[in-house]
Amino acid sequence: MSATFAGKSIWITGGAGYLGSAITRALDAEGAKVLCLDLPGRAEALVREHGLQSTVPVTLDVNDAAALPAALDGLVAAHGLPDGVAHLAFASSSGYRLENLPATEFQKTFERALTPTFVLCRHLAEQMKVRAAGSIVLFASMYGVVAPDPRLYAAPLTPNPIDYGASKAAILQLMRYLAVHYGPHGVRFNCLTPGPFPNPAVQSAHPGFVGELAKKTALNRIGRKDEIAGPALFLLSDASSYVTGHSLVVDGGWTAW
Amino acid sequence: MPESSPFSLAGKVVVQFGGTGLLGRALVDALGAAGATLVVASRDQATIEKGIATGRAAGRSLHAEQVDITAEGSVAGLRDRVLAAHGRIDGLVFNAVSRPMRNERDSVAAWEESIKVNATGLFITLRTFADAMAAQPAGGSLVNIASIQGMVGANPFLYEGTAMGTVPDYFFHKGGMLNLTRHYASLYGPKKVRVNVVSPGGIYNPDKPQPEPFLGRYGQMTMLGRMAEAREIGGAVVFLLSDAASYITGVNLPVDGGYTAK
Repeated sequence: MSATFAGKSIWITGGAGYLGSAITRALDAEGAKVLCLDLPGRAEALVREHGLQSTVPVTLDVNDAAALPAALDGLVAAHGLPDGVAHLAFASSSGYRLENLPATEFQKTFERALTPTFVLCRHLAEQMKVRAAGSIVLFASMYGVVAPDPRLYAAPLTPNPIDYGASKAAILQLMRYLAVHYGPHGVRFNCLTPGPFPNPAVQSAHPGFVGELAKKTALNRIGRKDEIAGPALFLLSDASSYVTGHSLVVDGGWTAW
Repeated sequence: MPESSPFSLAGKVVVQFGGTGLLGRALVDALGAAGATLVVASRDQATIEKGIATGRAAGRSLHAEQVDITAEGSVAGLRDRVLAAHGRIDGLVFNAVSRPMRNERDSVAAWEESIKVNATGLFITLRTFADAMAAQPAGGSLVNIASIQGMVGANPFLYEGTAMGTVPDYFFHKGGMLNLTRHYASLYGPKKVRVNVVSPGGIYNPDKPQPEPFLGRYGQMTMLGRMAEAREIGGAVVFLLSDAASYITGVNLPVDGGYTAK
């Protein structure tokens, strides 16, 4: 199976995060040349902690959209153009209740979630199209497809905020537009659209909430972080060579019923 | 870490319905290459036997079986033979299709014949095999092969100046397949049985190529500028059958070059 990713170069932004690290580790195990991009110190720690063999840790703050093209050019010069990119690095939630959400915070989520994503995708796809190959995977959410049920979020939990879901819906449409624009040039764009994957801190602090999330899925459980890796590898690989413009939902059936 | 490779079916017992056509043969090749113990069932066992001979000689675990999906007893008999021979059933691929209607003006009898195989046969097969998987601690994964013609209507522009055309039953049963998939995903989810559907776009036939005006126009309808190659569908099917897709159920995965994204 390592033949699939052997010699392939894959970049993962947010590659040391909760879901990103599962993808980084799976790609490393498959023998890909991985660039793990994250905030200072995080990618280095992941590589050290898990003894990753073919992963290069890199510090990159994607939030500075104006500085992004030069930073990407520097990475391409040092490591070559990637065959695939999984883009997970975007803080995209205000954390406010709807009634208290200031317009400035609402706006900030869109700036952080969308503008750097647009800049990164266009900048890399323009170079990928010259060699007529590439696969870029963006991360949406089931909350970009359906709205969160406020009844799931008992105090002190804050319901998943409106800016989060609205920005994820925007990511889905950004992906479709880019897929259609760059398809004739051989560059594929797809989304992974995860369902409930609460991180370990939420899992241990709010077991009742986790139980409620599980009940919303046909499989009657929340997702394990490793379960996002296989779908990411599928979309990044040539096994999905005729798949583009698609939102691959990984939600245990949350949106199927 | 659980198995995260979307490309391996090593150690899995998979039953594929329909394996004599262009896509069916490509799926046999993809599933066999991924390491599955594969039972291919069809009305026409002899043609299956012939089709799997090469893969078998190469050491793949391929087996031919006869089945009539319109007869509950025949489908149950197949299930029992697979369980007796291999001990369990991890995966199912429903790729059987019957095309009794030849054009839009064909008879009601032809429509009824289509429903018997494509709708009733699908229902019998899914329920029979999902029940068998639900009785296993590890559950299982069912993958239905639909079509983008279960998602969107056909653009007549594609067929202008050719002898090609559409038939109404295909749009009906592929569309129905999508929501029957979601229904069974909901029903069998608690038993660890996943149910998903792959919706291919048009597939280029290298043995009997589609006429040129159609090929060019079809390319324009996709964002990759071409029809699919049969081998490109297998990746999605292998992925959904594998443990790498363990949190995916009730999903429709189009493999259509962006046809339905625009």
